[in-house]
Amino acid sequence: MWLWYDWRAAAVADSNGNIVDVEEWNGWKDTDAVCSRMDMIAHMAMTPEAERLSERFPDAKVLIHGDDELPDANWPIPSSEALAALDRAAILLSKRGVDAAAGDPDRRLEHILRASDELRAAYITIEGRLVEWVGLFLPEARFERDRSALAHKVINCSNLSELADEIGIGMPPKGPTDAEWDSLHDWAQSVLEIKNRLERMEDVVRELASQHLQSLSALLGPILAARLCVEAHGRARLARLPAGTMQILGAEKAFFNHLKTGSPSPKHGHIFMHPWISRSPRWMRGKIARTVAAKATIAARCDEFGGEKWDQATIDAVADRVETIRSENSTPPSR
Amino acid sequence: MGKKRRLSWAVMVDGRAIWTLNAVPKVSQYGESLRRFKGTEYRRWDPTRSKLGAALSRSRHSQYDLLPQEGDTCLYLGAGHGTSLSHLHDHVCGMDNQKDGRIIAVDLSPRCLRDLVHLSTIRPGLVPVLGDARKHAAWGIMVASKVDWLLQDVSQAGQTEIFINAVNRFLKPGGKGLLSLKAASERFSDAGEKEVFNQVRVQLEDAGLTVEEQIDLHGLEDNHCLYYITN
Repeated sequence: MWLWYDWRAAAVADSNGNIVDVEEWNGWKDTDAVCSRMDMIAHMAMTPEAERLSERFPDAKVLIHGDDELPDANWPIPSSEALAALDRAAILLSKRGVDAAAGDPDRRLEHILRASDELRAAYITIEGRLVEWVGLFLPEARFERDRSALAHKVINCSNLSELADEIGIGMPPKGPTDAEWDSLHDWAQSVLEIKNRLERMEDVVRELASQHLQSLSALLGPILAARLCVEAHGRARLARLPAGTMQILGAEKAFFNHLKTGSPSPKHGHIFMHPWISRSPRWMRGKIARTVAAKATIAARCDEFGGEKWDQATIDAVADRVETIRSENSTPPSR
Repeated sequence: MGKKRRLSWAVMVDGRAIWTLNAVPKVSQYGESLRRFKGTEYRRWDPTRSKLGAALSRSRHSQYDLLPQEGDTCLYLGAGHGTSLSHLHDHVCGMDNQKDGRIIAVDLSPRCLRDLVHLSTIRPGLVPVLGDARKHAAWGIMVASKVDWLLQDVSQAGQTEIFINAVNRFLKPGGKGLLSLKAASERFSDAGEKEVFNQVRVQLEDAGLTVEEQIDLHGLEDNHCLYYITN
């Protein structure tokens, strides 16, 4: 005995291929209902028709339409009208799938993080130009300490001599024309504007990452956590990475170069941004990166698989471990 | 002007270029050029943008056989943004699906599906499905009966196994199957591209399929090879 079913009907045939019983579903004119049936089947569940027949014929072997084992029989294949309904449902299902992608935090994180990276790159260039530009007219000015305050000062001044007073230096013999100064003034305004926009954007990244990657954000900071997640193409994949991959995530170029040519392997990727690693002396960075990456994989798994959120005590324990590594390796290795 | 040949009611070869009868007049789907031949509008099939187009222009002796019949049911695994798909639709379905064809286009990425859903609204007969080409259980039920023609272009490891499984599950006996293989997606092999292509050919033959033609797409789509098989 065989029990055949698809999204619209179910049928039982005996071993000779004769149809014994058929149950059909007539609700297929409603596209929404067809969609929920598709979901049902996609999750390997049986349709109500198949359930009913299965109760009536408990010894029949239940197989879905298309299975190789099914014998040839006159199964009740859907009519062309029903097939058209199925096509409509397929389009609706795809639309829903596409809409669902908007709710996916991985994709949202990717766009905002990449956008803020691009904005930061733009900010650095235009801010650098502002400093150079002002420096051309006021060669005595020195901005090493606070370049960022310069934009503010330029905006608050209405001409170059005011700016020279503000900074506390003398006026040079040659200055910009009024129109030139206006352009410089506008430039300073855009520097400030982009800076504010960048800060707002990074706050959003922090917020998203702290929700999406609670433990990892607590351990590494939200921005770094977000970067790792984006680099791994999503939290689900991040949580499945081995610690060694987590350690060099972001150093792919160096890593594949290492595999190809045998150059020294990279010791850290994005994870280098964490002060535990970047603020440690060169010779112990690899060791610390290894430990931190191992802990980070555990944190990422806690986030993905609904584990407990890491508390401060757990993070302190990692910090202690890093401190131990630092003190154990306090002298540089001899060459 | 080169010499014109017709591959089908909708597909025309003019010298080196391939043109398909536009099912949605005045609309260029991906920036391809449009041109009128004797009052009907055709779209140029760009072989560097579409592997199916590349295979058509490179094929030595199966140019007339590669495409499905008009009105066939087709399955396209890894439909991407719908470049090849739109030309396939011109041929299989035509304007307002006058040929009564059906093309089921499966892709994994929501980004691609966005384009495919849009395409399906202006090109009836096209059925987009969001799903993994390997997981038949999730979407296999959309394929009501076995299909006449199957194309797979997924560029991921294990492409050949995925293709063989799909052919066994979905392709009618006597149907046509096309596998677009990206050498770089296969497991790293020291033997190089030629060796990978030959290994895949053997693998397909071992699975009981007849390889009618192996078309190297080098120059149009590097590191790619298209296999035309029948079962």
